Amino acid sequence: MTDRPLIRGVGLTKVYGHLVALRDANLTVMPGEARGLIGSNGAGKSTLIKILTGAVAPTRGAVEIAGEAAPLGDPKEMIRRGVACIYQHANLAPAMSVLDNIFLGRQPTLGFGFVDRARQRREAVALIERHGVDLDLDAPVGSLPTVKQKEVEIMKALALDARVILMDEPTGWLAASEVAKLHATIRTLKSQGVGVVYISHVLDEVFAVCDTLTIMRDGRTVAESRVADIDRPHVVHLMVGEKLARESEAAGREKRRPRGSGEIRLSARNLTKRGVFKDVSFDLYAGEVFCITGLIGSKRTELVRTLFGSDRFDSGALEVDGRPASFAAPAHAIARGIGFVPEDRRREGLMLEMTMTENLAMATLDRFRRGLLMSQRGMSEAGRRVISSLSIQPPDGTKPVNLLSGGNQQKVLVGKWLVRAPHILILDEPTVGVDVGAKAEIYAILRRERDSGAAVLVVSSDLEEVMTLADRIAVMVSGRLVAVHDADAIGIDDLVREIGMAAA
Amino acid sequence: MSAGGLVTPSHTKGRIAANALPIAILAIVVVFSAAEPAFLSPDNLIGIVRQVVLVGIMATCTTFVIMTGGVDLSVGPVLASAGLVSFYALDSGAPLALVILAGLSVGALVGLVNGAAVAFLELPPIIVTLAMLSIVRGSALMLGGPEQHLIRDQPQYSFIGAGNLFGLPFPIYIFALVAIALILVQRRTPLGLLVAAIGDNERAAYLSGHRTRQTKTLVYAISGFGAALAGIIQSSQVHTALATYGPFGTELDAIAAVVLGGTSIMGAWAPSRARCSGCSSLGSSTTG
Repeated sequence: MTDRPLIRGVGLTKVYGHLVALRDANLTVMPGEARGLIGSNGAGKSTLIKILTGAVAPTRGAVEIAGEAAPLGDPKEMIRRGVACIYQHANLAPAMSVLDNIFLGRQPTLGFGFVDRARQRREAVALIERHGVDLDLDAPVGSLPTVKQKEVEIMKALALDARVILMDEPTGWLAASEVAKLHATIRTLKSQGVGVVYISHVLDEVFAVCDTLTIMRDGRTVAESRVADIDRPHVVHLMVGEKLARESEAAGREKRRPRGSGEIRLSARNLTKRGVFKDVSFDLYAGEVFCITGLIGSKRTELVRTLFGSDRFDSGALEVDGRPASFAAPAHAIARGIGFVPEDRRREGLMLEMTMTENLAMATLDRFRRGLLMSQRGMSEAGRRVISSLSIQPPDGTKPVNLLSGGNQQKVLVGKWLVRAPHILILDEPTVGVDVGAKAEIYAILRRERDSGAAVLVVSSDLEEVMTLADRIAVMVSGRLVAVHDADAIGIDDLVREIGMAAA
Repeated sequence: MSAGGLVTPSHTKGRIAANALPIAILAIVVVFSAAEPAFLSPDNLIGIVRQVVLVGIMATCTTFVIMTGGVDLSVGPVLASAGLVSFYALDSGAPLALVILAGLSVGALVGLVNGAAVAFLELPPIIVTLAMLSIVRGSALMLGGPEQHLIRDQPQYSFIGAGNLFGLPFPIYIFALVAIALILVQRRTPLGLLVAAIGDNERAAYLSGHRTRQTKTLVYAISGFGAALAGIIQSSQVHTALATYGPFGTELDAIAAVVLGGTSIMGAWAPSRARCSGCSSLGSSTTG
């Protein structure tokens, strides 16, 4: 293609404190091109996207739009110049009509603040006709299926004359048939000369809809290629990194212990929650790491929540240490030796304003009771022990946790359960937003717990993590546990295929 | 990594902010005494203190509610009802301990109902306690009618609000006791830590295995208890019980004192010692 690129980011670098989120990353999108952007979690994809939308200003580097240097860190200006972003979670007003959503915040007016509804409708009709999309303009957005909501977002972007549309995990919440519909819409966009950046960790989708792809790892754009010129194992290797792939595979293989000591800690039989997950059965053994992987939206989080009692299942049976269990609240699960690290540490895990020591004591307050009062000394000693054994930085228990880095916050969250020495430790996406070094440390902590006889259940979408950590791997697709493998018996390529194919 | 590297500018700002209130109180006192020398007379100062004590007790006891991100608007009528109930108990010749117990249980019960509605029915605190404000005021009017009930010849009861001990009004000792007890609860007991945790992140507290609903209920009961205690002190101080005591604005005084004391109205950690200065500033400016 000889056209000028629609958007070009050159040498983009972003440094947060001492964490380098992005180094020298480059990304180019030509008119009518769909570019896949792939990489494991923490590879820098979202930072790169945030720079292109203007949400974040890079520390170094430049962004050009249609050959002109664009101002950095200015979201309004980026929208004006035709860069739109569709996020994983819908960004729409569900109670309002499709029409109102398309023009949300910038309705054509008749003056005195009255909306020019006739003009609004005329423009919207022209827009959906031009792009061959079938949308009922008067339907409330909340009543539409998810894929239609994505279309509304795309129309909203196009109404702003978007030339480049960035899509962040656009199929995370979609059923397989809807994915195909979305891909058809993307092809239409391409034929209109719109550029698309398609961020996904589902390789099948990238291979199905993209022309070119950019692979990121550790904040760098490590490779660019036409999709036709590259094969899947090569892509996986580039994503994971040659060295890490070999190392983690070797390290993992050496110590893998499917079914651990052979003693069943938790046993689930036909667990069902209506409309969420169905007939899930598995056994979790002492001394193993059991990973449940799958796409975002495959209901893994919902499943583990019912194991911990923060949600209820409708039918099925759960046994913990051979005794039936039905937990009405987390307190009951904790009393039976279960610990749970939720996915969203800021919203569900930590008391951000409170100190590290207090956060670490939060699941064990009963142990520090001395008569009516708390033993401050007991609390800070327990805190100190965890801080040093997990080498949390800075090693000062009086610091509020919101001053810590993501990785150290995550260690606090895991550490709070270690104070209790749980029999079963459940972790939901334990290394999201954590840098590579802290990731390795968290893996080491989990292995240590496993080796001391705990049963560790990890929910993770990060295949690299699953391959590194797991003794056994379960795959969940749309609320069903479709397969359980010994980790030695399956390679990452097969796993990708299983997750991807089941969805297609 | 050095811990010092984490000291952010907000810490220095925090230090100034922590002292802002005493400075403001001093400024108010200086201005008022310059404008009206009688401001500094012992009578006026004692008057301020008497007023401060009532708001102070209510504020102290409602702090936990505000720390959990809630609010208790029903304190005014609870104050009146506790006075009335104590009056009737006195009238019936009950012993002093029983009289006080009756008065206090009114507050604690109203608080329990507030708390249960907020915690278990998940209703918004502002709606629940606003409704409770009307309910309790209405009940107080039905119970006591529009007239004043004089509390005569009850030296023991009157001592609570009007007595002096070692040259200071007795209510000051009650306030001090309540403040110390609650500071102790806040800083040294699991309950205090849990209240702060709920205010910071209720979901995380629940997922850490805490019975957050029971705790929230208890916190409203404490608030009601505080209002009832203030009601007993007031009725004893003015030798009267009246259904319309604790008028509109009482709850706002209590909330203002808590907020001036440094508790975030959005719910969070509160330095309790600051609350005393919060009440003093409120008291001195109102009197002024």
